[in-house]
Amino acid sequence: MKSNIIYQSIFAVALLSLASCKPELKTVTPTQGNADFSRYIAVGNSLTSGFADGGLYLDGQKNSFPGMIATQMKTVGGGEFYTPFFTDAQADGTGYKKLSSFTAAGDPVITDVAAQAVRDVITIPDFGKVTLMTKYSGEINNYGVPGIKLGQITYKPYGNLNGYFERLLPGNSPTNNTAYIDFVTEKPFTFFSLWLGNNDILGYATTGGASPADQPTDKATFTALYNLAASRMTANGAKGVVATIPDVLSTPYFTTVTLAALLKGVQASAPTVTSLYIKTGAGDVRPATAKDYFILPFSSAGLLGKPNGSGIPYGLHPLNPIESQYVLDEAEAAKVADYVTYYNQTIKSVAAAKQLAVVDTYAIFKEYAAGKMVNGAEVSAAYITGNIFSLDGIHLTPLGYAIVANEFIRSINKTYASGIPIVDVTKYRGVKFP
Amino acid sequence: MKKILLSVLLVLPVLGFAQSFQVNLQGQKQTAMGGAGTGVAMDEAAVFFNPGAVSFLEKNGVQAGISPLYLKTAFRENGSNITEYNKDKIATPIMGYAVFGNPQGRIRFGLGIYTPFGGAMHWKEDWTGKYAITSLDLQAIYVQPTISIKITDQIGIGGGLVYSMGKVDLRRAVPLTLNDGRQGDVKLKGDSHDFGWNAGIYIKTISGVSIGITHRSQVTANVKDGDATFNVPDALRSSFPTKFSAALPLPATTSIGLGFYPSAKTTIAVDANWVHWNKYKELAFIYNNNDRIENTVSPRNYHDAAALRVGIENQATSKLALRAGVGYAFTPVGKGYVTPEVPDANRILLSAGLGYKASERFQIDFSFLYENVKARNETNIETGLSGEFKTVAYIPGISLSYKW
Repeated sequence: MKSNIIYQSIFAVALLSLASCKPELKTVTPTQGNADFSRYIAVGNSLTSGFADGGLYLDGQKNSFPGMIATQMKTVGGGEFYTPFFTDAQADGTGYKKLSSFTAAGDPVITDVAAQAVRDVITIPDFGKVTLMTKYSGEINNYGVPGIKLGQITYKPYGNLNGYFERLLPGNSPTNNTAYIDFVTEKPFTFFSLWLGNNDILGYATTGGASPADQPTDKATFTALYNLAASRMTANGAKGVVATIPDVLSTPYFTTVTLAALLKGVQASAPTVTSLYIKTGAGDVRPATAKDYFILPFSSAGLLGKPNGSGIPYGLHPLNPIESQYVLDEAEAAKVADYVTYYNQTIKSVAAAKQLAVVDTYAIFKEYAAGKMVNGAEVSAAYITGNIFSLDGIHLTPLGYAIVANEFIRSINKTYASGIPIVDVTKYRGVKFP
Repeated sequence: MKKILLSVLLVLPVLGFAQSFQVNLQGQKQTAMGGAGTGVAMDEAAVFFNPGAVSFLEKNGVQAGISPLYLKTAFRENGSNITEYNKDKIATPIMGYAVFGNPQGRIRFGLGIYTPFGGAMHWKEDWTGKYAITSLDLQAIYVQPTISIKITDQIGIGGGLVYSMGKVDLRRAVPLTLNDGRQGDVKLKGDSHDFGWNAGIYIKTISGVSIGITHRSQVTANVKDGDATFNVPDALRSSFPTKFSAALPLPATTSIGLGFYPSAKTTIAVDANWVHWNKYKELAFIYNNNDRIENTVSPRNYHDAAALRVGIENQATSKLALRAGVGYAFTPVGKGYVTPEVPDANRILLSAGLGYKASERFQIDFSFLYENVKARNETNIETGLSGEFKTVAYIPGISLSYKW
């Protein structure tokens, strides 16, 4: 009997001690390598700010990719990182789009969430209306300004024309006179991300090439300004990472509404229709082909097939073609591709000259857009269901931004021999469904 | 005694781990000896290890045992500094055997209830691999009525019909965001009832060495009309399936074992197992509604894998037997196919145990098995999940037997 007790005790002790014996993996010690992350600043446009679902709002800001990188940088000596958040009371910010339901046919019904942070709408002579938002006066590390083009970073009155930038400046529009590049470099910093240039072509593309105010930034100007930006950012010895411009034409904004889908919709009630007519940027009217891109808002515009004053249905006859603003025709698309290629060559060569890390988001977006498994979750450029693009079809979901954050981290680690840990992308969501 | 066996069966969920989702905890004596036992007529567990050896057992008896299994897996995504662990969950494979008939006669009968396949892997609901798996409970309990015939005093053959009762409960997150920001999830739950067989031959050679050869057939666990419970956004719910079917091969195992008896008190058992895992090509879930999602066909492409086991027993005193063993199991899982539900790799097994004869009829046996699964850094070709797995398992066990 005594021996039984001994055996029982041995087993009890063995069980207890072993229960605490976890398997161990080789320890990972994050290192900063030869970079200094004590003050990281993020310079860029909407993609840097956390813009999503057609607006800038608190939830999007909290899921900005620079914010994610900064959190990971804290393990390797990174300092505090401040994003110009909207307050909780004005969390809806500029307002944004929301998926409310699906129609019986399965089409998404998208509604608007109202703005909360608008303080005024003013008219600037020779420019137009500018929506002003509640000022932010705290510390800033995330300098992302939605809408800004590389072509505008040295333009001093720009702070009067862009409400997102005006929000960060102390002065009220139209009294501002601080160029963006001067504003972001005011305070010393040790590390930066620079992702600019997207809007220099994006505006042209999203307006179907039809807006005189949104023509692509001249190539030589782009090169000069990119060199200037890189010089200014590295002037005090800071290291950094830059990114190329994603392939605009593989975003859901351009790939969701296709000629085939439109024709199918029309043929449901008018089986004899075989062509849609478009007005090209050059002013010609011709049948649309699969090489023309229809923009996402065209589907909700509800114009197709609507008869005009003479009874001619919209888009179905050469005398009432689909307007140029809804179509990026083949020639315009080629122009977009040409500019993006040129801009990206510039970005890569400047990065090489300045020995900066470079994230080839053009290649990365293409790879993910085509469909890829990320830790068991399928992502693609499919509108809504693809998980990485938000409801505006251009900006990303938190999951999409997390994937971008990891690409930046990998590029930084590779260039600077650092060991910033990656983000767990599965902690971030895709498009919210009703 | 039979009543006790059944009550044990009803209370305890049975899950385990040894090579992929094969469980090798079918007898406490054998477990303590590295899992070897095909070539020796050890005890009632011969019903599992070698039905041919059952007719060579000196006494009739019943036994019931349990092996609480503590398995810990670490995972770290490549590039991350965070190590994640599976949840603590003790799985409890049980085993019970009965041997009856005339010990002096040529024909003996046996009944075995054991758990040759199972798995209990539970990760945190929001872990990095949640879209691949959050939890898997898998078990197949085999019930095996057996007949064993001593053809000559040197050769015995035996065979049994296997009735397999399988259960599966698989959960994972679904990459669709609900309105509150959480991700959707799915639970696939079903059971199966299938048949197989187990046969063996046992030979006592003139040199004193005993030899056993056995083959346990494949059982294909067919889950029909299982419940697929999708927790997805309301707007999509009606387009998701509610039922699924799946077929999981529980592979055949061919074993050869030798028994050596260097002294009257010492037995050495050596086993080699060949597990026919090559039949496990894919894990497919066929749904009753494919409006939103395709059937999921996950490639597994396992290959056959061997395990080698050596164990020794020494009857230290008339009441006390000491046992020890080692084993090495090769993984059936090829590069790129490691999944978090079964993060398999080659493994080393170390075991020890003892048996205590409380009386002429009652015996209690203890075993302890330690499994160390090699660390493995892999990128899964299906999910893209990339990181390092490392697993250890600690498995104590106890059984009671009564002989007459």
